[in-house]
Amino acid sequence: MQSRDGLTDNITPHFSDRRVPLNVPHQASMPVRAVALLASWLVPGAGHLVLGRYGRALLFFVIIVGAFVFGISLHGRIFWPTVAEPPGMFHYDLITVLWFAAQIGSGLCYLVSFAFGFGTDPHPLPATSDYGNTFMLLAGLLNYLVIYDAFDIAAGRKR
Amino acid sequence: MHILMMSLYATMTAVVLAAVETRSDNMRDRLIHGLKTFGWFMGVGLLLSWVFLPIPW
Repeated sequence: MQSRDGLTDNITPHFSDRRVPLNVPHQASMPVRAVALLASWLVPGAGHLVLGRYGRALLFFVIIVGAFVFGISLHGRIFWPTVAEPPGMFHYDLITVLWFAAQIGSGLCYLVSFAFGFGTDPHPLPATSDYGNTFMLLAGLLNYLVIYDAFDIAAGRKR
Repeated sequence: MHILMMSLYATMTAVVLAAVETRSDNMRDRLIHGLKTFGWFMGVGLLLSWVFLPIPW
């Protein structure tokens, strides 16, 4: 039978420090996972910050918040579910529900905009508002991916 | 304007998709994945715009 050290040598030949195998994904505790998940939704990249992935946290923050702010600056508008007129199969207008579901993914970006009235004009005139809507949609959808990535890291499924 | 917005959209998406990519852990593979994603976005976008060009609306 191999000694403990011999076995470690065989399965972890390239670790710089054999006592602390850094290449093995670390599984975070349930409270840390929950905090990472919530933080990731509220502030894009914050979940990665909690998990110690500083570079990725900064990257996600800059891109997702940047996309949202860029969308607002192009006169994009934030969507929330509105009642369908004329009444159809659904009580709510399905398009506004889907846009809302996508945009709410950007967390505080959406909530702060809503609270301070940025992008709440229901009839924006500038021709760039469609571009703005698209970038705000992109911010929310990308943040869903980032939340999922943070959860994967917290659960020990990836580094 | 259209192509500028499309490029920006493709860049942002490609960077995030490359960063969350799960099949590789090294920077080089992520970079290649990001460039491929960007290329696909731009290529498919330009192809679709060319296909839709004759349509009047």
